[in-house]
Amino acid sequence: MTWLIFGSMIVLLLLGFPMMIPLIAGSLIGFVGLFGGFGQLDTMIQQILGGIRPASLIAVPMFIFAADIMTRGQSATRLIDLVMAFVGHFKGGLAIATAGACTMFGAVSGSTQATVVAVGGPLRPRMLKAGYNDSFILALIVNSSDIAFLIPPSIGMIIYGVVSGTSISELFIAGIGPGLLILVMFSIYSYIYASRNGVPTLEKASWGERWQALLRALWPLGFPAIIIGGIYGGVFSPTEAAAACVMYALFLEMIVFREMGMKQLYATAKSTGLITAVVFILVGAGAAFSYVISFAQIPQHILGAIGIDQMGQYGVLFTISIAFFVGCMFVDPIVVILIFVPIFAPVVQSVGLDPVLVGTIITLQVAIGSATPPFGCDIFTAIAVFKRPYVEVVRGTPPFIVMLLLVAVLLIFFPQIALFLRDLAFNK
Amino acid sequence: DTWRYAFEEAMDEVQGVFAQKFKEEVEANSDHEIQLFPFGTLGESADTMEQAQSGILQFVDQSPGFTGALIPEAQIFFVPYLLPQNEEALQNFFRNSKAIHELFPPLYAEQGLELLTMFPEGEVCMTTQEPVHSPEDLEEVKFRVMTNPLLVESYKAFGATPTPLPWGEVYGAMQTGIIQGQENPRFFLNSTKMYEVTDVITCIGHNNFTTAVMANKDFYDGLSDEDKEVVNNAIDAAFEYILDYQAELDAESFDKIKEAKPDMEINILPEEERKAFMETADSVEQKFLEIGGPNAQEILDQMKQDLADASEAASGGAESGEAATDEAATDGAATDDAATDDAATDEAATDDAASDEAAEGAEAEPAEEQPAGN
Amino acid sequence: MTLDDKHAPTPDPDVIAAAEATALDDDIDDSKYVSGLPGILGVIDVAIARIEAVLLAVGVLLMAVNTMANVIGRFVIGESLFFSEELNRALIILITFAGISYAARHGRHIRMSAFFDAMPFRMRKTMMVVISVVTSLAMLLLAWYSMDYVLTQASRGRLLPALQVPQWWIIVWAPLGFFLTGLQYGLTAIKNMLDKDIWLSTSTLEGYDDSVEEEV
Ligand code: NA
Ligand code: NA
Repeated sequence: MTWLIFGSMIVLLLLGFPMMIPLIAGSLIGFVGLFGGFGQLDTMIQQILGGIRPASLIAVPMFIFAADIMTRGQSATRLIDLVMAFVGHFKGGLAIATAGACTMFGAVSGSTQATVVAVGGPLRPRMLKAGYNDSFILALIVNSSDIAFLIPPSIGMIIYGVVSGTSISELFIAGIGPGLLILVMFSIYSYIYASRNGVPTLEKASWGERWQALLRALWPLGFPAIIIGGIYGGVFSPTEAAAACVMYALFLEMIVFREMGMKQLYATAKSTGLITAVVFILVGAGAAFSYVISFAQIPQHILGAIGIDQMGQYGVLFTISIAFFVGCMFVDPIVVILIFVPIFAPVVQSVGLDPVLVGTIITLQVAIGSATPPFGCDIFTAIAVFKRPYVEVVRGTPPFIVMLLLVAVLLIFFPQIALFLRDLAFNK
Repeated sequence: DTWRYAFEEAMDEVQGVFAQKFKEEVEANSDHEIQLFPFGTLGESADTMEQAQSGILQFVDQSPGFTGALIPEAQIFFVPYLLPQNEEALQNFFRNSKAIHELFPPLYAEQGLELLTMFPEGEVCMTTQEPVHSPEDLEEVKFRVMTNPLLVESYKAFGATPTPLPWGEVYGAMQTGIIQGQENPRFFLNSTKMYEVTDVITCIGHNNFTTAVMANKDFYDGLSDEDKEVVNNAIDAAFEYILDYQAELDAESFDKIKEAKPDMEINILPEEERKAFMETADSVEQKFLEIGGPNAQEILDQMKQDLADASEAASGGAESGEAATDEAATDGAATDDAATDDAATDEAATDDAASDEAAEGAEAEPAEEQPAGN
Repeated sequence: MTLDDKHAPTPDPDVIAAAEATALDDDIDDSKYVSGLPGILGVIDVAIARIEAVLLAVGVLLMAVNTMANVIGRFVIGESLFFSEELNRALIILITFAGISYAARHGRHIRMSAFFDAMPFRMRKTMMVVISVVTSLAMLLLAWYSMDYVLTQASRGRLLPALQVPQWWIIVWAPLGFFLTGLQYGLTAIKNMLDKDIWLSTSTLEGYDDSVEEEV
């Protein structure tokens, strides 16, 4: 049944069916096969509805909404002008700034999908204008957003910490090193890309121009203030910060800049709802599919067959990496963590691996998997928001995946990348 | 056959330990195989409950507090100070409670579920940033509670500002300061690392987190007598095992927290300080009577009776309740050992006590803290 | 600010225009929506389309207001809105299921069209009919079983803990959404069989998501 499920999903996907159909077909085959008929399809519906239930998902439509308002009005332009006044004259400056903004925004918001929208939405047109290739831009945005998984707060790490009984504080600190390493690699790649493709730089802005840009951006600078100050200041949860950004964006564009009227407000809200629905039905169908995988104990069967308990530390780490990477290509990262961590826990313990290192590696794999075809929620989000074809969204991905996998390998052989800060902070 | 069993926690938390014990027993005494599904692998708690109702799952563990959406009476387990504060009495309670063994099973049956057992998972304690010795200390404290009206009411009555927040956001919210307090059973405070983001643990003896194991009713009724016996024996074995286990775990969890964070302040409030909290229970009972469904009054009365009986049996039917509470207040291994050793004798004692419940019930310890007017 | 690198390739104006077109140009004008159904059915269909649009917009706005109200309540008055999370959950289900039907009307569901686009016209057209029919049947199947699920939930009497209303009230959109989506894909199949062109939905011609030629 496993092969029938995965085979039909890939075929339906390639034939050009709406993306929800492969996921629904995979679940349907599973439910009918497992329960010998259509008798338990109620549970499939339950899982679809359950998939869109988590409260943290609300951040996604809220950031889509806020970003759309900012982009239609002046907020986004003014903020980017400010950034450009400082980095526009560097080779690849805008790309590096985008990667940095995704990392920062992802770090605080904790949602990779929200990051794709909120940072990618406004910055993509500017990068296109600056001469970057669209598939590079899309891949940069999607992959930089995934650094959010590694930099605290990270929901993936919290769940790993709870399921495996590992210190969440230590995990949070251990994620910072690899997260920054990825950012550095993406920045270097952006520089090389910009140089090789002759992406032009801007004239260096004078301090007077920079001051002007800063003044123009004063109001919109409220956004980072709300998000960073509000979340770290204990006023909002990340989800609530998203709603606060909507309110602030409406205030700026409707009252301060007077760029937006009721009619546009309606159109923006409707378009946000449409994008949300298109993405969330996939999240829901994905949840039903995860259920089949979990219920049929497919991972257990596969892992049981390869004899992981005979491997040494490196073997175990590589197997874990591959399992999470492949798992996240098809199934929601959180579910993958919930299913896989208990399966691997005994062997991690028996070969004496540091659970914080394992957690960091798992989180990294989860990040990579979410940005990897065929089924990744960040890819879906990018397609829906930027209205670009699937293939174009994933075309620029390979160099980024290679860099991410390189970091994963480095992490396995040089665990200090993750553990250095942890050891420093916890006097280990 | 392969039977499937889902629970709300991770494999090595209390429900997972119970499930593993159950699996071990069933597989040792029959040809059936049990597959275990820990938290989240088949959906949330409400999802697995529905799956047990529809027969996809044969067994499910859901805490009665969460069952409130289906069986409103089950929310009684969120009413504070209805369970014994001392370990010995607590074990008596769960062995003998009429509410659990006689009143609840028909309510579960109406939902297509066979109630197999209820057991305690550990004393519920608060973690906060500042020490708590009285309801005044909870003023201005934004306290995370699950979205249940009774928990909300409890913490309002305790003086805090109850604040709903999805569980996934609690750790972060505690770190950034959106909330300053939350409650959970002791082992959960350890396993979810709540001590990393709070400084003080306070136990006021208001509750012991209770959970229930159920089977799909059609499945259970359709079992052969032999299989029924296998299931029931396995449940009994796991029940006995978990009573000892959770008692030890309560002490051990705090030892582990102390080890991981030596400057964590752990306060087991003494009887005098608990009183102020106990006096607030009345308003929560009123709320329970409002939302607890048609049998709320009957269940509440019976729970109180069971509490009185259990406390009395634990204190030998003669000693005053004061001693029992003091014992609970001192915490630690001594209490736990004493509590578990005499399980057998206690059972005998309870039977006696039950017969003259009406006469002596009022003397038992927590009951006297509760005004007679409810 | 000007470009200072004379050798830079000129960015493709089309791609930039497309990206810059603040979603505005891309907004769906509901007054221009033409139903695939004849006569009175068509009128009903257009009305449903309008309702879906309004539900989407109002749902999103309510979600923002509800979430903010909870923050203000907690931070300013010190009282949280206990129903806030449940209301958001209700809204997200409403938005998702009003949206999938609306997306189907306007050919906005995500698909991977690379191989499809490479096929010759006749094959594409046949494929489009197959895709529409299969998708329609899948949606109708899910509509049926979600109806069943809603009825089961209603009979169990499950309540939402904070709002204290029956849980089925917030999931009743699922069968409706699946049904209307199935209907749209069914109509798309018919439209493709009757018309000479290839239609992504009854109102959207193929070509909406054609990729713009790449330069590099
Ligand atoms: Na993060
Ligand atoms: Na993926």
